[in-house]
Amino acid sequence: MSGTEVMVRMGELATSADPGDVLVSIGLGSCIGLAMLDRKAAVAGLAHVVLPAAPSPDVATPGKFADLAVPALLEGVCALGAARHRIEAAIVGGAQMFSFGKGALDIGARNEAATRAALEAAGVRLRAAATGGGTGRTVRVHVGEGLVTVKEAGGRDEPLLGARPLAMEVRR
Amino acid sequence: MKTQYTEVQLDALRELANIGSGNSATALSQMVGRPIDVSAPTAFALPIGEAAEAIGSPETPVTAVLVPVCGDLDAVVLLLFQPDAAATLCRLLGVEPGTELGVSALGEIGNVLGTNYISALGTMTGLAIEPRPPQTVADMLGAVLSSAVIGVDETRDIALLLDSELATDGEECALSFLLIPSEGGVAELLDRLGVGA
Repeated sequence: MSGTEVMVRMGELATSADPGDVLVSIGLGSCIGLAMLDRKAAVAGLAHVVLPAAPSPDVATPGKFADLAVPALLEGVCALGAARHRIEAAIVGGAQMFSFGKGALDIGARNEAATRAALEAAGVRLRAAATGGGTGRTVRVHVGEGLVTVKEAGGRDEPLLGARPLAMEVRR
Repeated sequence: MKTQYTEVQLDALRELANIGSGNSATALSQMVGRPIDVSAPTAFALPIGEAAEAIGSPETPVTAVLVPVCGDLDAVVLLLFQPDAAATLCRLLGVEPGTELGVSALGEIGNVLGTNYISALGTMTGLAIEPRPPQTVADMLGAVLSSAVIGVDETRDIALLLDSELATDGEECALSFLLIPSEGGVAELLDRLGVGA
């Protein structure tokens, strides 16, 4: 479970076909860690989504916006040899850390809804989610092992996708 | 969109934070019955991706108290207690750290500090601002800070953080004190300080 940790910070997006790489987003609050994996090809990607929708389609940081992060990440993992039909997605985050009392719906929930909608529009299977609630999370994507783990504040890394027989798991 | 602030503007904002946190240190000193030191504030104007890491490692456990500002300024005050500071403050107040009572006591400290800070800001700038009820969470630094930065202002790419640190004499009790205005809030503050664009 060790390897080179590649930090994916707010708004960033990373892809890898190096089996030693571990893609990491630390301290996701209202943000979403969007992972895509082709476990057979041992290719994976992670985007650290901050907001549901981009103000325009040609922003410099597609990883920041759910609507652009999904197609950009999909293109990125396919370019490294992932087969589109084998790609599985997992999402982590979308918590409500604070209530600002502004919009009708908090940003975390809007980020999650937009990410799910974009995955569906792209035809990518969402296999696991650890989202919502009021707790921060860290996501790790182990490229070679095809494993996604989640750690909540004060907790340990727990497998979310890839360690067990596939089943849709949703924790809220 | 404006992404850079001049040194003169950052100096003015630091001075504002200095007086705000000085005011709060006095209040905390009265609460715990011992002297409190305030560091010279630091101003960070950073891309939001880096803002969370400017304060510390994003996975550091912190107790955070968020005090939203309402009125003429769109901003939040965020107090961050690292575990040792949280334990020290709880001990000084005679409550058990890590318990529900301990978290509640830190929330109250945050409330007093945030309220004094906001009151000093209002006096200095002439803005009609008031604190809203505080929210206390114990979580990872990155999750807390990123959510506060995005919650205040969704559209910006650059976050401005004004960080003051308070410490008790001879005790491990560093706590971070952040003023996080929206982009419009920064402009409002700079105008009031006479160094606007």
